Amino acid sequence: MGNKMIDKAVNPFIQIAGARALAWGALGLLVSTVICYYAGYHYHGLLHFGPASNPAWWCYAAEHLIVWLIPALLFYLGGKVFSHSRIRAIDVLGTVLFAELPLLGMTLIYLTPPMQMMANMDMSMSPQELLAQSFILPAVILSLLGIPFLLLTLVWLFNALKVSCNLKGWHLWAVVLVGILGGDVLCRMLISHLYG
Amino acid sequence: MGEIKKRLPLQCPACDAPLRVGRLFCEECRTEVCGDFELPVLARLSDKEQQFILAFVKSSGSLKDMAKSMGVSYPTVRNILDDLIDKLSKMNE
Repeated sequence: MGNKMIDKAVNPFIQIAGARALAWGALGLLVSTVICYYAGYHYHGLLHFGPASNPAWWCYAAEHLIVWLIPALLFYLGGKVFSHSRIRAIDVLGTVLFAELPLLGMTLIYLTPPMQMMANMDMSMSPQELLAQSFILPAVILSLLGIPFLLLTLVWLFNALKVSCNLKGWHLWAVVLVGILGGDVLCRMLISHLYG
Repeated sequence: MGEIKKRLPLQCPACDAPLRVGRLFCEECRTEVCGDFELPVLARLSDKEQQFILAFVKSSGSLKDMAKSMGVSYPTVRNILDDLIDKLSKMNE
């Protein structure tokens, strides 16, 4: 029973994929976009987050769409090349979007006052002055609390590819690395255009 | 006490080589047939795989129906089927 729960937490795609995963993921994307807009929290890439110069709502929406579609596209292409299964685009799109749901946890952490104060701090201060600020320690602790959410996203992305494209062995690792690391680079290149 | 459900052994317990049929007998008249026969392809699959194939036939080959009845996602069922097809192809090589 316990093992089944852990399996489900590590790989939810054994049970959820396709349109259902896409619907849950889309809801998460919508909520995340709204929270990011109010928190001023930008997705600079798949693995990079923080403040940015464009406060328009559409910028947050575009960042979320890019961070979803680029890895999904790379996974789909990798699946088309290496998989012997007839993969479906809806499974790749749905599982990748669902896999990004844990990032909501990081977004919520960014809403907390210490993180907001850190985002708005005066960067012209000396390092000693910066470290003396009362919000620094809570902000660092909160940042560390966000790491498990990022790690869970990476694990879910790995399993999203594994289930949606039925890849194994080095094919799986190659596509996951290209999809996540290459995807992050591509996302950052595309998103940088949004900041003018 | 309930009857023990025996599973057909597929591999040699000593060296792990695939087992073949050496003796068959009629339960009614006790006639025995000896020889060297290969197990049918489906009999060489594990219990779990045989159950999957039965479920596949019973659902008229609908992976969507199978996913629903097994409580798993569509790609999970498709992956099991594709891996099984791969295994059967290798057995036939």
